[in-house]
Parts: sequence; structure tokens; C-alpha cells
Amino acid sequence: MTVTGSGKAAKPVNVIEPVVAIAINTFRETVRDRILYALILFAAIVTVLGIVLGSLSVGQDIRILKDIGLAAISFIGGIIAVFAGTNLVYKELERRTIYIIFTKPVSGWQFILGKYIGLCLCVAVMVMAMGAFLAMIVIALGGNVAGASFIEQIKEITQELSLIYLELLFVTALATFFSTFSTPVLSVLFTLAIWLAGHLGESLLELGKLTQNPLIAQILGIIFYCLPDFAGLTRIRGHLLYGTAPGTEVLTYLVTYVFAYVLMLLVLAAIVTERKEFS
Amino acid sequence: MADVVIQTTNLSKELTSSLLRRKVRILSGLNLTVVKGETFGLIGPNGAGKTTSIKLMLGLMRATEGNAEILGMPAGDKRALAQLGYLPENPYFYSHLTGREFLDFVGQLFGIERQDRKERARELLETVRLTEAADMQMRKYSKGMLQRLGIAQSLINRPEVVFWDEPMSGLDPIGRRDVRQILSHLKEKGTTIFFNSHLLPDVNEVCDRVGVMNRGRLVVDEQVKNISAGGNYKDLEDFFLEFVSKDDANIKASSNASNSTNSNCDTSSEEARS
Repeated sequence: MTVTGSGKAAKPVNVIEPVVAIAINTFRETVRDRILYALILFAAIVTVLGIVLGSLSVGQDIRILKDIGLAAISFIGGIIAVFAGTNLVYKELERRTIYIIFTKPVSGWQFILGKYIGLCLCVAVMVMAMGAFLAMIVIALGGNVAGASFIEQIKEITQELSLIYLELLFVTALATFFSTFSTPVLSVLFTLAIWLAGHLGESLLELGKLTQNPLIAQILGIIFYCLPDFAGLTRIRGHLLYGTAPGTEVLTYLVTYVFAYVLMLLVLAAIVTERKEFS
Repeated sequence: MADVVIQTTNLSKELTSSLLRRKVRILSGLNLTVVKGETFGLIGPNGAGKTTSIKLMLGLMRATEGNAEILGMPAGDKRALAQLGYLPENPYFYSHLTGREFLDFVGQLFGIERQDRKERARELLETVRLTEAADMQMRKYSKGMLQRLGIAQSLINRPEVVFWDEPMSGLDPIGRRDVRQILSHLKEKGTTIFFNSHLLPDVNEVCDRVGVMNRGRLVVDEQVKNISAGGNYKDLEDFFLEFVSKDDANIKASSNASNSTNSNCDTSSEEARS
């Protein structure tokens, strides 16, 4: 029997190592959690659409297939982010696996960051796989839209996918944040509500302009600035769709905005986790 | 004087029921000292506060009053956590991982180097007789196998002190014997052991000292060798039952006394009003 006890304690813990361990574990858990079925479902839908549209449309079949395909990737990626994200912390609490984590030299921020990175990796793999499948169908069906070459088509799909992924990073952070203090059902509702409100944010400003009451206009303005600006991301995707790529400044602003917002949500989630008691 | 490894001073915990906001005291004034190399067993009926005590010592819960120190550091301090091992009660681990992957994961949380982690995992899987099931997903493990894996993960970092909550739970007689052997080896190495158990013969065999808890309080703690040596108690079970029933009787008597005082007060005030 080999049981070594005292005398050879572990070296001081590297702060990144637990984050990596938790991220890999979360990735494995999500991927092994039959979420790949979502991908298979998506693949089936797009294949059917590709065949049907190929036979019905004249000239615009690839454009329609691409639009539908990208919308489906955004939707399925969002479903994965929302449902897996809202269960992230809750599942650990419910199954009491959290006892294993927090009786090791692991801080709340390391736990949250590891969980978030793990889920984002999983979403990235799903989005890339679905995107690759879509690109394959586009190639198989000819891939020429309005004179755009095959390479341009692939480039356009990649740009669109990057923006979709940026939005999903946002949604995953929201879901992770809510999962630290509420049940999965409520977390799903909160995340979906903010996701939707984030897309409709500019309507709040319009509503503020229409109202005669300055106080209400001010409140609506504050809500607009607090809500994540998903509409901004959608606007840029629209530009891409019509071949007018946004400038580097706009993209830099957008990426900085998303990462700043994600960071704020993760810091809040870490604070909530750090203050939690595990009874 | 021997090095103090675990020390609690007036450690208390109150929980607030979510519905009525009523406060319930689940642990009252726990004063306990465990020295280096000692094996301390905490015994008591269900709901006595044994698991709560461990959770407070590890920083999973925060004390309402008092404090706990492990290796001279406050409960939950990361430097102390790096040197201890913990087995939760009825452990449930990540069902999607294999036993070997899980031990590797735990080793990584401690920052153990890859090669050492692999070697350590192999050793421990052998120790707890799980080598053959090492590459099987944990969803297929029996309760006893999970318990043995739980013991293995609590030893991956070669801890100075281990906290085991019901380590014999779910184990068959062979498994219990193995755990007793592991405990003996840890003792030989000078590891400090703190564990909760309902299985008094096992506690009697491996512990240097036991504490009896009842209704959130430590009723008595005594060296195991003194329990039957004095001739007052037949064995540990006799000792345990005696103290728990005495404590229950005392609580009942004081509750009756306070009820009768209250009813006397009510009668006097009614008389005064009339």
C-alpha cells in the first residue's frame, strides 16, 4: 500500500493552473453532455434546406442558404450558451461537486473564469463545426453569388461567424453571471430577457424621445446605456451582408466594448461566488 | 507542547430559515484543539453538527461567532487548503470523467506537476483498489467505488491534515478494512486526521481521541484509551450513549424548567391583573 501523507506538500499553486483545469473540465462536461446532438440537428436542417432551396430558387439559392444557415448557427449557439451557461454554477452546487473545488486552493474568480472559458471553448467548437458544415454546402452547391468568388464567400462566412461568436461570448457571460445566484429556469428567463432587450435597446431611446416626460426619457436612457448593445453587433452583421465591411475603428470599439462588458459580468459573478456559503 | 493543527474557539453557526426568517442555531460554542499527528473522531447522532463543524473549519461556511484555525491560518485560507485533504459526506463527483481523469483534475487544482500527478493518481488508484475501473466514467461507479475514489482524491496532494466526513459510508467490510489500513499508514506518516463517523467500532480502532456532539454542542472529548480503562464504560458505544442520553435529559429538564417558569410568570401576571 502506498499512502504518503505529511512531509511533501504541494508546491505553491500557480494561479492559472486551476483556471485551466476547471476550463478543460467544463469543456469536457459540456461536450460529453450530448450537446453535439444540437449540431447534428442543425446539420440536418441545413442539408434539407440546401437541397430544397437549390431546386426552388433561381440564382439566389446560395444567398438564402447562407442567411438561413448563419441565423441557425446564431440561434443554436445561443441556445447552447444560454442553457449550458445558466447551469454552470447551479449544477456544481446541486451535485455538491463545488465542495471539491472550494476545499482546494481555488478562488472564486478562478472558478468563474475557468467555467466561462470552458464553455466559450465549447461554443467556439460548435460554431466552427456548424460554420464548416455550412461552408461545405455552399461549396457543394457552386458558391457563386452575385459574382462573388468562392474565396470571398468563405471570407464573408468567417467574418459573420466571428461576429456571431462575439455575441455568444456576451450571452455566455450573462448566463454565467445569473447562474451564480439563481435557479436555471430563472437564469434562462433573465438571460433571454436581457438578450432580447439588448437587441431592442435603441427602441428605448426612440421611446424616450417620443415621451413628453423628461424623467421617463432619462430613465429609459440610463436603461439603454446599462443594457448590452446587441443591436450594434447586428447592425455590423447587416453591413457585412450587403458587402460594406465596417472600418477597423468600429470593430476595435465593438470588441473592446464586448470584452469590457464580459469582464464586468465575470467580476460580479466572482464576487457573488466568493461571498457564497456552501451548506 | 505539541503543534496545534486544528483549533476552534467558540465556533458557532446560526442559519436563518428562508420562509419565516427564524434563526436556528446549528452549532454552539465549539472549542476544540487537535495536535499534529493526532487522529480525532467526531461522533454524534444525525443532525448533531458534525458536518457543519468540518465545513466551518474548511471555510465552506462562515461562522456566526467564534473562529477556526487550521495550521495556524484562518478557516478557508488558501495556504492552509493547499496542505489539507477533504472527503465530503456521500461524495458525488463529475460523472462524465473517468476516475483517473478526476484525480488528474484534482491534482491540477493543487498545482501538482503533470508527471507527479500521473504517478500519484496511479498509486492512489491502486491503494483504493480502483486500478481496473480507472478508465471507466464515474457515472458507472457504485457508491462504494465513489467513496474510495473520494478517499484517493483527498490524498493526492500528500496532505498534512485530512478531514474525512463519514469515510466508511457505503463501503463493504473489505472497503472498511482498507480505509482503516490507509488511516494507519497516514498515522505512521504523522498526518493529522479529523473525521466524522457513525461507525463506533471503526472510530474505536483508529482514533486517539473522540469528541461526542449532540444538538450542536460538543458534550465531551476524551482519549480513546481512557474510555474503557476507567472501568466506567464497557466500550465506546456505551460511552457515547451515556453522554448523549445524559445531555438529552439535561436539555429536556432545562426546557421543562423554563416552561414552568414561564407558566408561573403567566399565572403571577394574571393574578396581578385580577
